Amino acid sequence: MNTNLKMPLIRLAKRDSLKPSVVWAIRIASVVLALLLGMIPIIMAGKNPFVSYGIMIEGALSKPGYIRQTVKRAIPLLGTALAIAPCFKMKFWNIGAEGQITFGAIISSAIAIYLGKSLPSFPLLVLMAVAGAIGGGIWAFIPGYFKAKYNTNETLFTLMMNYIAIGIVRWLQGGPWEGRKGTQMIPMFPDAARLPNVLGIYCGWIIILVLVVIIHVYMNFTKHGYEVAVIGDSENTARYAGMNVGWIMMRTMFLSGAICGIVGWMLVSGANGTLNSDVAGGVGFTAITVAWLSQLNSFAMVVIAAMLAVIGKGSATLQTKLSVPASVADIISGVLLFCMLGCEFFINYKIILRGKSDKEVQ
Amino acid sequence: MKKTLTVLLSLMLICVLFVSCGKKTTETSSSTEKAVAKATKIGFVVINDESDQGYTWNFMNGMNAALEKLKAEGYNIELLVKRNTTESSICKDYNTELAEEGCAVIFNNSYGFEPYMLEAAKEYPDVQFVGMTNCGGQFDNNTNTFNAFASIYEGRYAAGVVAGLKLQEMIDNGKIKADQAVIGYVGAFSFAEVISGMTSYFLGVRSVCPSATMKVYFVGTWGDATLEEAAANALIDKGAVMISQHSDTTSPALAAQKAGVFHTGYNTDMTGAAPNASIVSCRINWEPYFYTFIKNLIDGKKNNPDYTGTMAEGAVLLTEINEKIAAKGTKEKVEKVIEELKSGKRQVFDTSTFTVEGKKLDHAFALDTDGDFTPDKEEAVYDGAFHESKFQSAPYFAIQIDGIEWLNAAF
Repeated sequence: MNTNLKMPLIRLAKRDSLKPSVVWAIRIASVVLALLLGMIPIIMAGKNPFVSYGIMIEGALSKPGYIRQTVKRAIPLLGTALAIAPCFKMKFWNIGAEGQITFGAIISSAIAIYLGKSLPSFPLLVLMAVAGAIGGGIWAFIPGYFKAKYNTNETLFTLMMNYIAIGIVRWLQGGPWEGRKGTQMIPMFPDAARLPNVLGIYCGWIIILVLVVIIHVYMNFTKHGYEVAVIGDSENTARYAGMNVGWIMMRTMFLSGAICGIVGWMLVSGANGTLNSDVAGGVGFTAITVAWLSQLNSFAMVVIAAMLAVIGKGSATLQTKLSVPASVADIISGVLLFCMLGCEFFINYKIILRGKSDKEVQ
Repeated sequence: MKKTLTVLLSLMLICVLFVSCGKKTTETSSSTEKAVAKATKIGFVVINDESDQGYTWNFMNGMNAALEKLKAEGYNIELLVKRNTTESSICKDYNTELAEEGCAVIFNNSYGFEPYMLEAAKEYPDVQFVGMTNCGGQFDNNTNTFNAFASIYEGRYAAGVVAGLKLQEMIDNGKIKADQAVIGYVGAFSFAEVISGMTSYFLGVRSVCPSATMKVYFVGTWGDATLEEAAANALIDKGAVMISQHSDTTSPALAAQKAGVFHTGYNTDMTGAAPNASIVSCRINWEPYFYTFIKNLIDGKKNNPDYTGTMAEGAVLLTEINEKIAAKGTKEKVEKVIEELKSGKRQVFDTSTFTVEGKKLDHAFALDTDGDFTPDKEEAVYDGAFHESKFQSAPYFAIQIDGIEWLNAAF
């Protein structure tokens, strides 16, 4: 009795690893739970939840045109998840992908605006890609440098860098790059600076799929990838093994930012055709969820990014067809992400209630 | 790899489940399509949603009223709306999607949508695309692109008359001296649409209160309640006794009410937000445009690629005058002014009523044709007035006249 009184009501304990079948059962259960919970706001909006879910899937996948748009949504999501994966593996919390995409997009746009009329399309696009990668890389290198040299907090640093990059675009939009006075808009790029379409979608999807393989190899089969993994597990071990931790951090951040920059390049040159302050549009943050849910496995990222794109496109259709408020669709995707991330917790920990100390719940 | 496979399989399972549920809905919607002869689908891409109580709300009200009217005449129209659209490739995607859904015409309600809309228009030549408040549709060589605006400057002028009567009454009652009739104007950006609106408003005021002057503060955004409130307060500190605005939120009205000064609004009736300050608003009524456009479309008639709704056809309106605070006899006087505007007897930009750097305006171009963003074609000044919205529906009056003091500029 006495020991029970002092015991907290709920205790958490690390689980021994579960059988994969159990792990996947929990994951699937979490999705089902999310779908059930998602029905609540739909019912509250006075709609049939089964019909609604049907419309979401239909709106995302039922016509070639819809699939194209879904893929278009998935491209930056997947690219950015790939970009931040090495950082997260290193336990370097880079939440500045948004800014790195934006800054890459700025540098890339500068090439399109100043050289767009004088260069032929192919070299122009390559130059834009390289410029975008360098731009994004520099934007990520700065917090990497400060973390390595002065041990600054990378979470805050990368976050703040986002707002600076977005601010720069706002200034360019209303200032030096503005088209018609007062429009706050940068004119569309010349055709030479636009990525060609393959199968009706700008060819960025091919580049991203190649990147999936490259990142997979980089993370699992190269010395760099190994170093990143060691630092992620224990910085001291890495140091003891003679690795230059600071240098590896800066290098990995530059790489991460460079891939974000390439995403930025594809967004301005492929998706949008011009630059605006909304270019990243929250992708940098959603990609964190993608990377995390797929446990930094680049092939799993393809699936998760596709799934989020389906939800995103589906909710846009849901909004139109059933005229449910946009926020309902947002709630559904929020609930889904919450449950999916939450289930990882139950996979790694068990809950022990007071008085039942030996029996596990969930 | 095993993990990925499992994810894929479970996802497919879920997909199959949903698609089987979804099928029922498609069947029902296609059977209703065939039922009525004079039926069509239309799309509407909007920037906010109805809850903004201002910009998009006003558009949706116009659309719903037009559809109601068409329904009564036996036209069956299905409306698909894309709300909360960003001015990016999402806008193009929405236009594309609505075209894929089989919409015959797709309306876009924000200026910044047009470049993306025009891209979609290239891919769907059989679908008509309308850029509202924009001006690109008339100049490109596509026959499926349109643009529309309204001569809101007429409404501004009438609202100015209401404000001017109030100011003159305050002078006559000895509440303020003649030179204290200062108006504070919260503008979004310092370009033609805003300049045209504020100048016509000011000319309306001065037609009944000759001693009035105006100070303008540009906030550099369309809708930021905090900035707009700060701007209104700054103007009140500089002696403004009447606030007006060309921005999307009601916060200037609230600031005016708090400071005990008066207010004239835009887009929506703001007397609910500030019953002791807001006297009147002017707004565009989109109903006639939607009505005519859709009716013409179904009946196979041509639509004007560059439409300007006018006060005479009811496309520009004043909201209900707040009789509690308006000057005595306002209603009768402003109705007379509106009649004169409708008949063309009174010109808003009558060049005998204002000066530019001390001189009468005798020349100004309306259109920019070579893309350098300065007007270079079509003389707008003739017959003793500057003719606004004559050569294109989007406003082009961008001249600084005497009596209006710019405190800043924001492009």
